[in-house]
Amino acid sequence: MTVSLWTLTRGQCGAIDGFDEALQDEYRIRLMELGFHPGEQVSCLQAPALGAPKVYRVANTVFSLDDQIAAHVRVRPQTHD
Amino acid sequence: MTDSVRLSPHSALLIGSPNCGKTLLFNRLTGLQHRVANFPGITVEIASGKLSGHTGVTLYDYPGTYSLQAISGEERVAVEQFEAALEDPELGIVLCVIDVTRLEKSLYFALQVIRECGRAGKPVLILANMIDVLEDHHISMDLEALSRDMGATVLGISARTGRGLDHLDDAIRQQLSTPQCPSDHQEPDILLRGNAHQLARNYGPKGDVLLRTQNRMDAFFLHTGFGGIAFFVIMYLLFQSIFTWSAPAMDAVESGLGWLSDLVVPMLAPKLVQDFAADALFSGIGAFLVFVPQIFVLTFVIGLLEDSGYMARAALICHRPLRFFGLTGKSFIPMLSGVACAIPGIYAARSIDSPRRRFLTYMAVPLMPCSARLPVYTLLIAAFIPGTTALGGLVGYQGLAMFLVYIFGMVCGLLVTAMVSRFSAQQEPDLPFVLEMPAYRLPTLVPLLRKSWRRCQHFITKAGGIIIAVTAVIWVLGYFPNYGADLGASWLGQIGHLVEPVFAPLGLDWRYGVAVMSSFLAREVFVGTLGVMFGIEGAEENMVPLVAQIQNSDLGLASGVALLVFFAVALMCVSTLAVLSKEAGSNRLAIRMFLAYSGMAYVLALIAYQVVTFLGG
Repeated sequence: MTVSLWTLTRGQCGAIDGFDEALQDEYRIRLMELGFHPGEQVSCLQAPALGAPKVYRVANTVFSLDDQIAAHVRVRPQTHD
Repeated sequence: MTDSVRLSPHSALLIGSPNCGKTLLFNRLTGLQHRVANFPGITVEIASGKLSGHTGVTLYDYPGTYSLQAISGEERVAVEQFEAALEDPELGIVLCVIDVTRLEKSLYFALQVIRECGRAGKPVLILANMIDVLEDHHISMDLEALSRDMGATVLGISARTGRGLDHLDDAIRQQLSTPQCPSDHQEPDILLRGNAHQLARNYGPKGDVLLRTQNRMDAFFLHTGFGGIAFFVIMYLLFQSIFTWSAPAMDAVESGLGWLSDLVVPMLAPKLVQDFAADALFSGIGAFLVFVPQIFVLTFVIGLLEDSGYMARAALICHRPLRFFGLTGKSFIPMLSGVACAIPGIYAARSIDSPRRRFLTYMAVPLMPCSARLPVYTLLIAAFIPGTTALGGLVGYQGLAMFLVYIFGMVCGLLVTAMVSRFSAQQEPDLPFVLEMPAYRLPTLVPLLRKSWRRCQHFITKAGGIIIAVTAVIWVLGYFPNYGADLGASWLGQIGHLVEPVFAPLGLDWRYGVAVMSSFLAREVFVGTLGVMFGIEGAEENMVPLVAQIQNSDLGLASGVALLVFFAVALMCVSTLAVLSKEAGSNRLAIRMFLAYSGMAYVLALIAYQVVTFLGG
């Protein structure tokens, strides 16, 4: 089951599955340039209140993405054992 | 296509992805001696300086970008400049900086640069910056193997500590004397992306050891409760700094110019020259030099916030509410600065990477209630709003009026951007909000001080000429044909009589019309001019007699409210317009905004006049 990256809550991890078709090619490429590759682990480090952009870690870099772009990234959430 | 920079003979190019420590390295390599070329229309700075230890070699600092595949106008200019430089025979070497603590985001760009250098036959060195951070955490990186896999020499350096810069010197010398260019393999971008990903996995730091401190600090600064409090405290300090830290220097500039004027003006002759020097030259220079300390302090404090890494967090916190009005989280600092003065606010908008949102921020900043409006508001409120209180003294009507007129300006600013963003045609797609969260770092003071000074120099040289020219024109109109004897009979006064029908629907006579027109120099000039019209000397320092005169005139409450509304909206400040046109690279934008805000101010003032009149004011 895949969900959008935006739905990950603070502390949740997932593996990037792909991107929505609605996401423009140039933004999809930019996300991949930044490390958001399919198969890559991504974790939500901070989810500030009031719908503010969330903070994600991918590879060894931390990015903040708002819902308008994070909603287009599909991830497979990982459950903690 | 932007004109490309003409490189000096024996040039070296410094490039890298954003936040890789490139500018700090540039400052180290040039001994902080550099100048900045500014491209009109777009905020792309290319700094250049003499490369220390290499006689005759000039180092150029090119704007950072994540990739040669540009997705914004800014990036496009940066990429075009880089590609043009590669074709320049004067270019001797390319230095590409990567951040070893965040390898993947730098590597793809570095691989693209190596490929392009191979194609153009230029030598390239990859500078693995922040190697000291890895060492501090006892992490090693096999740079020789990385060099082999990347197909270019990789040198471990630290721009912060200077580690490895002696090796860099040797490597540059060697490459300039006997260039070794990367082989010309034209791998497609998709292959380079895969390579970068694999190299980052093989050589990049493992685990989250480098991010633990950052995560802990983010947990505080982005916390719903503590983060909000920290945000308001930091913004309060920023706002205070603009007013309080710069106030002594602003007073000193004002006093110094006053002293100089008192010294020089009496020595001049004839009287025409004397009057011009006193009223146009010194007043004109004073009108914009007085902002220099404020610009310096604001640039310095914003630089502190940027360097420390907090600015990215502030942008994140403000993003959602401002997005509703077509703005971005990065618009918050310019708008906050605009409450002190629109000029530093417009400069602060440089940090907004989206051209559309920067344009919208330009529109919002002049509507913030700047400090120059304060004397006008004080005069009008004292003249028209009763000094009585309500609710047992809890609410003073004058204080309430001041609060409302401040809020009115801010709301107008947000509504204007909301409307423009919704109804104006979008020329290119807006950039999504993807912001790299930099590590928290201690700012380096000397480069910050130099940057602040450069910003002041830019203001003095670029805006100063326009301000003095407009001041001179207004002075000529107010001085002739009767040599300053009677402002009412001057050309400016005649224009005032001519435009009186325009101000009449607001219940204002020609004297207020002249005062409004002269306030185009700076809003606070309204008070002084009105003082002259009523025959009161020094109205700026002591408003009481002028308040009494206005109260004794036939002007009603409705006209007072109309004037308040007019000044809350109108863009009556030549300094702001001059800086706006330079920063936006467009005189047309400044002229359009002046006309649009003047029209809007007039219509809103007319509505306010009619409403208050209807209510019996």
